[in-house]
Amino acid sequence: MAFYGFNDKRERVVKASRDITMNSKKVIFQVHRIGKHNKEQVLEKADKDLQAVRDQHVSRLVKELNGTDFWKLRRAYSPGVQEYVEAATFCKFCRSGTLLNLDEINTTFLQLSDPSIEPLQINILDYLLGLADLTGELMRLAISRISDGELDFADKICRFVRDLHRELTILVPDMDESHDMKTKMDTMLQSVMKIENACFSVHVRGSEYIPLLGSDDPSYPLIGVPDVEL
Amino acid sequence: MKAFRSAYGAIIRPTTLNPNSSPHFSFSLFYLPKPFAISASLTSNFSANHSLNSSFSSTPSMADSGNPSPFDGTLETQFGNFRTQLDESGNLRERIRNVALEIESVTRLMHANLLLVHQSRPVTEVLEKAKSQISVLREHFSRLAEIIRESPGQYYRYHNDWRSETQTVVSLLAFMHWLETGNLLLHLEAQEKLGLDTPDFGLDVEDYLVGICFMSNELPRYVVNRVTYGDYDCPRKVLSFLTDLHAAFRMLNLRNDFLRKKFDGMKYDLKRVEEVYYDVKIRGLADTGDSKGDQGIQGQA
Repeated sequence: MAFYGFNDKRERVVKASRDITMNSKKVIFQVHRIGKHNKEQVLEKADKDLQAVRDQHVSRLVKELNGTDFWKLRRAYSPGVQEYVEAATFCKFCRSGTLLNLDEINTTFLQLSDPSIEPLQINILDYLLGLADLTGELMRLAISRISDGELDFADKICRFVRDLHRELTILVPDMDESHDMKTKMDTMLQSVMKIENACFSVHVRGSEYIPLLGSDDPSYPLIGVPDVEL
Repeated sequence: MKAFRSAYGAIIRPTTLNPNSSPHFSFSLFYLPKPFAISASLTSNFSANHSLNSSFSSTPSMADSGNPSPFDGTLETQFGNFRTQLDESGNLRERIRNVALEIESVTRLMHANLLLVHQSRPVTEVLEKAKSQISVLREHFSRLAEIIRESPGQYYRYHNDWRSETQTVVSLLAFMHWLETGNLLLHLEAQEKLGLDTPDFGLDVEDYLVGICFMSNELPRYVVNRVTYGDYDCPRKVLSFLTDLHAAFRMLNLRNDFLRKKFDGMKYDLKRVEEVYYDVKIRGLADTGDSKGDQGIQGQA
């Protein structure tokens, strides 16, 4: 009987994980709506949505997992947790340009359940896998920022992603089941290079850009051109 | 394929007297040219018959001693010997793999360090850190050489176990050398750096060449990032280096193998660098130069 009970539990964990994935994705899409002038509102809504994911779905997961070995059910909840990591770090980066640490995420999880229940703590592997996915989102963001003229932001993303890629290069072979991560690393390098190429293009072709009418942004892409004639 | 196989089986079968041995022969000889295969199967038939006869002749004396099978003693010792031999080579391989893993983790650190050139950190600083690892690599390679010396003349038996690691090592060393001097790291120089200039344990030329191809893969990214940081002379240098390198590789007659594939990839690196050079040149950026221009590569490519 205990066996069937466990299977049911696994099913519920999978369901919770899927809900986390779905709603974290929505948060990510919300962050992508960021523009030059609406940064605050967009991120505020994203933070609120993320809080909702924690309250509604992650807390459910914590309750289900209570009393079982986290590692035993890891495959059932890992995708959701990874997606959550992706969303949370994405929000944080857009706000402050820094990386949300694993400890910080785990601290926010502590409040989700009463102290009698063992709190869910994300393991290093899921955190790193989530970070690997984060670069894909950052690449998209960088491209859209460049087309919006926010070159400094794109440059910041570029440096951040490069650092992330470099740090992960050192870690990857030491991870359990590193094969999965290796393919993610290849994609990650592609993302890094896409951002770099985009930054390169605006930099070099800066002379061909004409500032939008009414734009008084002095940082507009006219760098790298010795004599600007408009 | 299948038809040929069954047809061939038909050829083989009449010549084989022992029905039990025929599947083995036809399978193992399947890839050989026909005439040779048949003659080989004939000879092996002969030898099989021969040993059968000889075993019959020796049967009475063995039967006296109460031993049911005449093969027992020799068979067991033969396979016993095989086991010890394979055990030994397995152990050796395991030790080689351990050293290779250590080499891999050193190269990983070096690589992560060299990635900093894409962030336009000063080249000298980046190189210094990476260079400090070379002596560690030397140590590992000398340990590898010692292990290989234990079974002389079998370098290529174990070669695969440290091959890809060595290729990465070469690519990193070559990239560092190029950053420093603007020239290609020569095979002899690479051997010297790694302490592989002994007669019995050297750097395989093919591994060296693959490593050079790997290095070329890194160059387009380097050029793109240098230009983004304002070094407009870099594409010219890289382009002239890569053009020469590609021309040199074209002189080689390559087999259709991994190296060939890597070499084929090199033209895309060249193409990308050409594009960057074109982009910079057509906008008049290349000629104006920049104060940071010589920061990247000290020597002339």
